[in-house]
Amino acid sequence: MTEEVVPPAVRRGAPPKKRKDGLAALGFLSPAIVTFLVFVLAPTLGVLYLSFYDWNLLSDGTFVGLDNFDRLVHDDRLLHVYGSTAYMALVILAVNVVAGLLLAVLLETRMSRWLRGFFRLSFLFPFVVSASAVALIWRFLLNKDLGLVNYVLGLAGLDRIDWLGSSAWAPVSVIVVNSWKTIGFSILVYIAGLQAIPAVLKEAAIVDGANAWTRFWRITFPMLSPTIFFLVVINTINSFQIFAEPRVLTQGGPGDASRTIVEYLYDRAFGDFDLGYASAIGITFMLVLIVLTAIQFRLSRRWTFYE
Amino acid sequence: MNFPIRKIALACAAAVLTVVPTAACSDNKSDASSSGDKSLEIAYWNYGPAAETGNKATADAFMAANPGTKVTLTPVTGENWGTYYANVATLIASGKHPDLMLISGEGAQFVHANNLVLPVNKYLDKDADAKALTGDIAKGLIDGFTVKGDVVTLTNAWNDMVVYYNTALFKKAGIDPPKADWTWADFEATAKKLTKDTNGDGKNDQYGFTWASNEIFPGIMPWVANAGGNLTSDDVCSATADTPQVNKAVSFLENLIKEGVSPAPMPMSDVFTRFQNGQIAMFGAGRWPIATLLPKFKDFDIQLYPKGDTYKTVFGGSGYPILKSSKNPDLAWEYQKFTVSEEIEKQYVGTPDKPGDSIPSRRSISQTISKVGVPPANSDLFYNSIDNYPTLVPYPAPAKYSAFESTVLRHLQLIFAGEKSVSDGLKDMQAELSTIVTC
Repeated sequence: MTEEVVPPAVRRGAPPKKRKDGLAALGFLSPAIVTFLVFVLAPTLGVLYLSFYDWNLLSDGTFVGLDNFDRLVHDDRLLHVYGSTAYMALVILAVNVVAGLLLAVLLETRMSRWLRGFFRLSFLFPFVVSASAVALIWRFLLNKDLGLVNYVLGLAGLDRIDWLGSSAWAPVSVIVVNSWKTIGFSILVYIAGLQAIPAVLKEAAIVDGANAWTRFWRITFPMLSPTIFFLVVINTINSFQIFAEPRVLTQGGPGDASRTIVEYLYDRAFGDFDLGYASAIGITFMLVLIVLTAIQFRLSRRWTFYE
Repeated sequence: MNFPIRKIALACAAAVLTVVPTAACSDNKSDASSSGDKSLEIAYWNYGPAAETGNKATADAFMAANPGTKVTLTPVTGENWGTYYANVATLIASGKHPDLMLISGEGAQFVHANNLVLPVNKYLDKDADAKALTGDIAKGLIDGFTVKGDVVTLTNAWNDMVVYYNTALFKKAGIDPPKADWTWADFEATAKKLTKDTNGDGKNDQYGFTWASNEIFPGIMPWVANAGGNLTSDDVCSATADTPQVNKAVSFLENLIKEGVSPAPMPMSDVFTRFQNGQIAMFGAGRWPIATLLPKFKDFDIQLYPKGDTYKTVFGGSGYPILKSSKNPDLAWEYQKFTVSEEIEKQYVGTPDKPGDSIPSRRSISQTISKVGVPPANSDLFYNSIDNYPTLVPYPAPAKYSAFESTVLRHLQLIFAGEKSVSDGLKDMQAELSTIVTC
């Protein structure tokens, strides 16, 4: 009697052990899945739904089709706010990615354990403190006429700068405060990436006579490229979403000089009670971030190196 | 339109857009009805520990005075009154139906325009206690909460805008305390004398006066009122931001900055700190700074805002209007009445070490502030200002108050930063407000 041979593809279901593993995996993943469904997907769908309505939280909503999206195109302030958001976000991104790398490399150079620990803690500390609390203190320091920063500048013979009140300097203040707060995270990730580079590669390069720049450019940078890519993506998303710093420091002003999209969206929703329009802004903003991230993924193929 | 998924979607969307939890997007409408006939749910702005303890004390006292009643307090967060209203609206959208909600004067139009409130006119007409209560409350405070003839609520506490001044700095500069009839010119001259370089580095580090950059009530409004203007028409249906009177008030303040008598405007919380540090000699606010200043800082007193072309007291109050969705409107009225009872009103008087942060709405209670020795020395001025002087009526609080205030402040930022002329800034402000202030 010959045994019937069943091709693997035809077999029904996975083997019992694999099925068991699959169920276990599902069990472990379920908290994350439930959290995602309840707190991310459902609200996102809710916002999408709402974007087709005119609703002020209290009245019955009215279906308005694509009207809210049409309003986006004619909203001059929105365009201006997108511009100020992009300006601040891109500079914050550059500071985190470039200065973060530089500082991480410096922190990985030879120094005493205590000093290294001190610097790491100093850079990371602002990251774990509440953004609003940090911004409140900075607001005090940056006051044009009574702040400590201008007092110190005055000792150096410099004029007072209107850090929070002028259109030119208010975005700079937001950039400085946000970068100061977030760069610790970038440094931490860079340090982890740097420590994962096998020492043998650098040692071999030194034996071959490569100087410090060549070692950085030929070994450190390519080996670190996945880390850099990760930080570019994360920092792009985070920096476009800043809210607390401009809200507390400048209230988005003067005018809209330091206003961000999230702040603008919040004001439309809870200042104007225009939930439909705020949702349309939220949906399009999400799409903008998705497109930016997709572009980054596409471009990353040219410069990231995976072992 | 009543398909359940819509309600769920709207509530979920509101949840993702706000910091207030919306009870996991559930419909809690049944809660109110299931808790019995003698139950009340009250939403209040939880701006800090004082709000929590004050509301709890009132609720506990009401339950003690009315055995069998149950009062449930719902604290609602918010960075200011505007966001508090938005968060209450979110709460209502998610299915909660409070019987009463705390509002300020700015909220009267909001709750009325959104058809949320049950006016108390019929209770005022029928209730025997009401006449005695309203007789002890300044007319201006009743009028301030009356919209189109509907009395939205009885006012339980209120604030009027006065000038705080640092008595130690005045004494040091050899300046007599200001008098109630001082003028803008007197004020400017006083502020100039109080502006100094105290550390000799060639730059001023003590300023005569400043105002809150994040609120119009203690910011520009007293100046606008005393110039004879307002930011809205009498029916609060159109904006009047580019009138010569408003221009005069804003120009006066802009000039204080230009002359270096006032520093760059800063939010109210920063003003408190700078005032206590002696960096600011005068600022404007209601009675609420007293709770922050005392008991540590006592070198201050208050005076009316200086007179411009006229003098008008700018004030705002708070109250607990009954919402139309209330299951127990009669009991809710009893609660509203209880909030202006002697027992509760005394909370707002406080003690010298723990002062109240508002003025009691009852004249008889308010007059006890100076008797119990709560600073400042001139505390009687608070109630006298509404009894003895004309008031700014109406308070410019359109239904979209939050949008209105943020628009005014945004344009003022540009003017006070010197990036727009007063005329151009007010013209732009007016253009934008014309779509916000409507009926």
